[in-house]
Amino acid sequence: MSKVYTNPMKPELATVRGVRDLATGIKLLQVTLDDAAAMTRFVYEPGQFAEVSAFGVGESPFGIASTTARSEVIEFAVNRVGTVTQALHRLDVGDKVGVRGPLGNGFPLDEFKGRNVVVLGGGIGGAPLRPVIQSILDNRGDYGKLSIFWSARNPDLMVFTDEYEEWRQSPDTELHLTVDNATPGWEHSEGLITTLVEGVAPSADSAVTITCGPPIMIKFAMLSLQKLGFASAQNWVTLEAKMKCGIGKCGRCNLGDQFICLDGPVFRFDRVEQLLESFV
Amino acid sequence: MRVLTQSQLNEWLDDLATRLRLVAPVDVQGRLLYRPVRDHEAIAWGYERSDMSPKTWTFPATEAIVTIEQGSETQINDAPPPDPTVIFGVRPCDARAALAIDALFLEKEPRDGRYAELRDATTLIGLACPEMWDSCFCTVVGGLPNGTDGLDMLLTELEGREHGQSYAVQVLSAKGERLLAGVTVQDRDVALPEPKLTEGLPTLSPSSEWKAAFDDVYWQRLGDRCLACRACTFVCPTCRCFDVRDEVASRRPGHTVFERLRAWDACTSAPYRRIAGGHNPRPTPQSRLRNRFYCKFMYYPDDFGPLGCVGCGRCIDTCPVSIDILEVISDVARLAARESAEVRA
Repeated sequence: MSKVYTNPMKPELATVRGVRDLATGIKLLQVTLDDAAAMTRFVYEPGQFAEVSAFGVGESPFGIASTTARSEVIEFAVNRVGTVTQALHRLDVGDKVGVRGPLGNGFPLDEFKGRNVVVLGGGIGGAPLRPVIQSILDNRGDYGKLSIFWSARNPDLMVFTDEYEEWRQSPDTELHLTVDNATPGWEHSEGLITTLVEGVAPSADSAVTITCGPPIMIKFAMLSLQKLGFASAQNWVTLEAKMKCGIGKCGRCNLGDQFICLDGPVFRFDRVEQLLESFV
Repeated sequence: MRVLTQSQLNEWLDDLATRLRLVAPVDVQGRLLYRPVRDHEAIAWGYERSDMSPKTWTFPATEAIVTIEQGSETQINDAPPPDPTVIFGVRPCDARAALAIDALFLEKEPRDGRYAELRDATTLIGLACPEMWDSCFCTVVGGLPNGTDGLDMLLTELEGREHGQSYAVQVLSAKGERLLAGVTVQDRDVALPEPKLTEGLPTLSPSSEWKAAFDDVYWQRLGDRCLACRACTFVCPTCRCFDVRDEVASRRPGHTVFERLRAWDACTSAPYRRIAGGHNPRPTPQSRLRNRFYCKFMYYPDDFGPLGCVGCGRCIDTCPVSIDILEVISDVARLAARESAEVRA
């Protein structure tokens, strides 16, 4: 009798079903797993991530940008910044990739029910927040006011622009946009997301916040939220690292004794503050 | 107790080498490494501690964990099953290191099937150390020169003229029992010799005291010396961080085979913790070196149980700028004592 050894590093074979441009240098990759049973098992929560392989190059972690409720395909926003993302940008419909996941934890959306939700997205950090927004919109009555603060370095880098109208039209929902550097034709705010949030000043009463963006943006967003009266335990963030395994083995993503891939990527901010090491 | 004379041991090893892969310490141009041997004569008898640990056989420096075949169709295949391997002459510290890696790969979910396969295919025959050599400090981190943890069998060289050249055999697992089945051994009434222990070694601080020393300027000064050469990590029997990347294994028109490689990585290297976009939360050599020690003495035991250090001392001998893990242990104990004195005052 021989033992069965399950290799958690072995990806599922997947097929690209769609590719579209999201922003300059950012594509939305839509995939399905070739094995129907594996696809059925691939049930994920907003905030979780997966490792996507470009064969011959390697794997990188991506926040899943879709929701199980809305999408029959799994979507990833791929920002072209390195070798794996360059290879993924070259793919077309029908091409093969590898997928391992879903990995990590998600946002505790059930805990947020009945409360106002403030979402802060910076650049490609909007990708794992889109499923949060979609889930709230799909269950609109379960949540209080939804305030979305969405930012990027410049207008060309704003992601999911074709969905802003739907977000705005949803009841009790507001969308605030800002870019660091405006270009002609930009009709929204110019400046950092922190200035925008402090200006709009969403109430901290019965509210939670969800932030994803570069570490420096998270750091200063937390300071702004603190000024507005939010306690750290009201603030949720999702952190990133170049996880090689995504399953707590490779060591890449440790923040003190926590692993971003296993204990996160979603953390309540007071827990991040208690860590020995800084995430910034 | 079961006893093997040197000639019985030689015969047994020669027989094992015909049936499976026998790995043992070998002198490779002055470096003592665990390598496959054809018979007992290739073994560097009388060796002390090897330059590299036998970890290379259960957690290889570079290993294909899957292969990806791209032709008219794409296929992802498991790596072929490993050859049954017996490692002879494992020092007790290195066996404890294997247990430390097991705690992460086997006991913490999800279990790493590839690592499990390699571990299951490997039998560890230990050879007790008669003494603690220069830079050895296994006793500081809970080990002993004749410790049995993690071994399938331990041989101890017997002293005294009446024994000639012979070894007491402690069988420690079913695997070890199977390996010894049918081998001619003697049954002698022998006392196991006590190893010589090094006196005056420092005491390891508990993880709470490490926590208190985290922000001390000490790490800045220590890290100033670090060249980020990563040698400490590569000789370490318990370090287990890895990188994953693809390489082409073969290519012909219309058909390519890639290997997805798992390769040792080191937290002391600059790009290790860098994230997409270039931000690095551990931007200095000081913060990276500190992480190495905190992983070993605080994070790893807190997260997985065992310490991330077995006191083999290889990093002490290897570091080109004399960063000494044993000195770090005693310095942290001193910092913690100072800290608590300040709290009292």
